[in-house]
Amino acid sequence: MAVIPNHSVALISALLCAVLSLFVALSFGAAPTSLVDVYQSLTFSNEASFTSRIIFELRMPRTLLAFLAGSGLAIAGLILQTVTRNPLADPYLFGISSGASLGVVILMIFIGVGAGIALSVAALIGSLVAMGLLILIAGSQRNAQVESMLLAGVALSFLFSAFTSLLLYWSDPQAVAAILFWTLGSFARAQWQSLLLPALVIITCTVIMLGFRRQLNAMLLGDESATTLGVRVHRFRILMLILSSLITAVLVAMCGGIGFVGLMVPHIVRFFISQGSSVGLLMTALVGGIFMVWVDVLARSLLANQELPIGVITAAMGSIFFLSILYFRKRQLVGK
Amino acid sequence: MHTQTSKKSPLLTVNNVSWRVGNTLILKHINVNIEHGKFIGLIGPNGAGKSSLLRCLYRFNQPSAGDVKFNNTDIWQLKSADYAKQVAVVLQETPSQFNLSLFDVVALGLTPHKTLFSSTTHADRQKIVQAISRVGLEFHSNQSFDSLSGGEKQRALIARAIVQQPQLLIMDEPTSHLDVKYQIQLMELAKSLGITVFASFHDLNLAAAMCDELVVIKNGEIVSAGKPNKVLTEQILNDVFGVCVQVSNHPQTTSSGESIPHITYYYGYQ
Repeated sequence: MAVIPNHSVALISALLCAVLSLFVALSFGAAPTSLVDVYQSLTFSNEASFTSRIIFELRMPRTLLAFLAGSGLAIAGLILQTVTRNPLADPYLFGISSGASLGVVILMIFIGVGAGIALSVAALIGSLVAMGLLILIAGSQRNAQVESMLLAGVALSFLFSAFTSLLLYWSDPQAVAAILFWTLGSFARAQWQSLLLPALVIITCTVIMLGFRRQLNAMLLGDESATTLGVRVHRFRILMLILSSLITAVLVAMCGGIGFVGLMVPHIVRFFISQGSSVGLLMTALVGGIFMVWVDVLARSLLANQELPIGVITAAMGSIFFLSILYFRKRQLVGK
Repeated sequence: MHTQTSKKSPLLTVNNVSWRVGNTLILKHINVNIEHGKFIGLIGPNGAGKSSLLRCLYRFNQPSAGDVKFNNTDIWQLKSADYAKQVAVVLQETPSQFNLSLFDVVALGLTPHKTLFSSTTHADRQKIVQAISRVGLEFHSNQSFDSLSGGEKQRALIARAIVQQPQLLIMDEPTSHLDVKYQIQLMELAKSLGITVFASFHDLNLAAAMCDELVVIKNGEIVSAGKPNKVLTEQILNDVFGVCVQVSNHPQTTSSGESIPHITYYYGYQ
């Protein structure tokens, strides 16, 4: 597969595309607004108007959260796929979102809180517990670390799901509906002040990963080769697991379960560009972000007066797109 | 291998190294000295402990007893990146399903030399490009590593080792899946680098032709060591590999005029 010769051109166009997407996405929604309204709102030229406030206080944090979520999940997926050398690894495979769900269910059922910031806190605690358990298991296994990480992740995921199902089975239908709504994912809870934590976590983790890009690539050649290049494989893998779990935990707490992006976006980017460079990493983040912004636009505007769950759209769109890429790639290979 | 006394201390010394997995002793009291500038081959039957020994040298296995010293320093006292600046390793084919280009793979040789946020400079790029053309792959630079042939992959890994600028190159059966032409090409390429090489071999005739000295290992113990024409005798080959052979002289000689043993195998053991 040919690699795009000039990486910086690709990166700059992706950046432009991201800025444009963020801008245009702000004009979509239940209340009719135009691009001029968006421009006025961003330049504060018509601050008092109702549309300006809708755009600045409702849509902007929401769109930014969508972008953050998309890029964060894509980066987390890329990192996990790299350090496990498993193309099917995905932030949700490791039980982090099931931990979050369990946290939310416990909060709803035992404390009776069904909304607000407490929900995010419970989800965060749940996913951090899951992450802690996973790291404990992976850290104690020096041999076959990848296998134990993957298996432990899947096992933990099932364990948490079992508890969640049990609690839901005993609880009233209202709680079941609430938790279902939560697991399907939504950016509706986005507010300016709640953006700070995910932004901070995602940017910090991404910067650290960019710093370690050579080590990440070395991991692709196998533990043994990575060792000979001076990478302390076991510690490094745990560090990367912590970073990607942190991203996932914060995002799951904010937006619920949004599957498939972490799995799919790294693959889509890999079809077109070598993931080896920092450009590859940044491209993955940008593509993930752009994708999510448009998914959110669809969620808001596909049906009148109703919002679709994000998770449904990402899974549906993602699978179709993914299958078509596989199909065309196969044809291309046969064509050669 | 003290065939001649040298004033300089060896580059790498393996001192009474044992390595066990559970209760099984895989390596038993191994002693090897690797002198500066030598091309040394490691031979032995399957399961003799060749890879285990090499792994002890590039810090993938930590010896259960004994020590490995590089320039008189215990290799486990060095920082992993510092050791990787001195010692490069080419392993058997490393499959990967990810879209890394040949250039990216060769660029990985920079890993131990670079601090976390340092960028790949123009000089680094030139070093990478030079290494790629040194192994004759300049027209494949942007190609995905996975799409290269077995021989090209191994040459790419040698290019990576060149970028790593090591004093010692360790190779674990780097030619095992290659056609005979590429086996010779790869080994001569490694030899042309002018650095110390310690490589395990499958093909005894290739080992005889390429190496200054050979180390023979069987059941985790060193059986014999020395120049190829001393080590590759009919008796030793029979004892270690369990085959009947005739050892003659290869029509070519080494650059210093010494004879190269050539092994002819006899068949019909059933």
